[in-house]
Amino acid sequence: MTGLTTRISVLAIACLAPALLAAHGVSSGDQAILSEGGLLAYVYVGAKHMVSGYDHLLFLVGVIFYLKGLRDIVRFVTVFTIGHSITLIGATYLGIRADEHLVDAVIALSVLYKGFENLEGFKKYLGVRTPNLLVMVGIFGLIHGFGLATRLQSFDIGADQFLAKIVSFNIGVELGQVLALIPIVFLISRWREKESFDALYRSVNVYLCIAGVGLFCYQLYGYFQA
Amino acid sequence: MKKLLFAFFSLVVLCSHDMYLKLDTFFLQPNGKAAIQLFNGTFAESENTIDRDRMIDVSVIANGQRRTMDSTHWREEGSVTVLDFTTGEAGTYVVGVSTRPRSLTMEADAFNRYLEHDGVVDELERRRTNDLLDTDATEKYSKHVKTIVQVGEEKTSDWSTPLGYPIEFVPLSNPYDLHPGDPFGVQLLWQGEPLANQLVIVDAEMGGAAHEHGPDADHDHGDGSGGHTHDGMKQLRTDADGTLEFEVSQEGSWFLRTIYMQESTEEGLTHESNWGTLTFGVAHGHSHGAGADHTHEHEGGIAAYAWWIGSIVLVVGLFVYFNKRA
Repeated sequence: MTGLTTRISVLAIACLAPALLAAHGVSSGDQAILSEGGLLAYVYVGAKHMVSGYDHLLFLVGVIFYLKGLRDIVRFVTVFTIGHSITLIGATYLGIRADEHLVDAVIALSVLYKGFENLEGFKKYLGVRTPNLLVMVGIFGLIHGFGLATRLQSFDIGADQFLAKIVSFNIGVELGQVLALIPIVFLISRWREKESFDALYRSVNVYLCIAGVGLFCYQLYGYFQA
Repeated sequence: MKKLLFAFFSLVVLCSHDMYLKLDTFFLQPNGKAAIQLFNGTFAESENTIDRDRMIDVSVIANGQRRTMDSTHWREEGSVTVLDFTTGEAGTYVVGVSTRPRSLTMEADAFNRYLEHDGVVDELERRRTNDLLDTDATEKYSKHVKTIVQVGEEKTSDWSTPLGYPIEFVPLSNPYDLHPGDPFGVQLLWQGEPLANQLVIVDAEMGGAAHEHGPDADHDHGDGSGGHTHDGMKQLRTDADGTLEFEVSQEGSWFLRTIYMQESTEEGLTHESNWGTLTFGVAHGHSHGAGADHTHEHEGGIAAYAWWIGSIVLVVGLFVYFNKRA
């Protein structure tokens, strides 16, 4: 890494540090919406969480950058969706949860992983073959789903229509994911044919690595401070 | 043996006829509709509704004002009596219901079982010591229940205002400043004065309790339709100032209950008991600084805004750099 890149990276981490913990959280406003809005409120909060929870989006950006063609995108996003739906519904239903900071720290590592992989880091820096992406996306889907389950369990959702509420939240997550992905896929697809795509590819993936490390460190900081 | 006795005690307490004010969630929106359920039975299941004429007082304290609710605000939903009301401005609300006394005559054995089952151990011990276990009893009892709910974001000090019921739990701090792991203190008042050395049961029901457990699970369910309680049930005694403190170990719906029983000199009665409960909710466990005002701007506030702007600046900077190198 050159001196300029190092300076830019350090500066970005310093600027973003106060915001890092805010990747997503539970707001009392959301709690009130859930309390009084019925199942549709769970769809809304699920969608809002996905759109505003940028660690999930950053990971998907990394996945989409690597893929070429709509068919590939649909295949990988479907695997990610199945993965996170399994743990979101299963863990919430069974009441399984972990410390929010630790789960978010692992999710941050998935962002770092994707940026590193897209930059061919495994081959260039570690001298090993890149793990199967479809399998890794499935595994990270399970981890992201566990993060979503932990978040959902942070709300007081009561006992009535328990499963329906979880499923509604999951539907919201999927809707939010689709809404967020449409402009991202559009932008990347259009840019792919331009000469400057290589610079965009490298800059976004370096950014994913920086953001992944930043989020990871900050979540660990949050864990030890809590 | 001690564990077995406590497990038995826990089980029978869960099967008692306590009264609680309960909500699906203790976090409400300002100027919105709210439904507060009056459970008569266990915390997990209400066994019967309460007639309006049994209610001496139904009050809501919010923003320094006490509002009395009349009988038109109540309705029945199966075996649950439900109080419908509309919230006003944001704040920490107190809602209470006090019921008219009723009397009940019981044979000695039944009375002893009830004392044991409902955790009125002091009176049972007194009967045992004074060789009164074979004496029938006529008891006058009344129930006084209270819940504290958080409406909107703003905290107010209404939680500290007593309703003036014969027996009443009064928190020593706002329960909506609590997070899992925090200590919570409560004072128990009898006729407005601290009640010392009184047994109080403290327990919690986790939110979202409709899941099942394996046979080895250490939970004790009602009938499975409601929430569940955990083996964290505590029996505590108030100190000389009538206060007790416990750790709010998990998020969920928390409840305290006590039955204060005395011998009665009233004609036709042997005993008088006053039942008191307090319920409140503890939500998510992320940490705040001491004295934090608990406002959340995680998702749409300045922090997220700064994140996105910072990200764009960083990506643009990196893009310019890599593009120049190309």
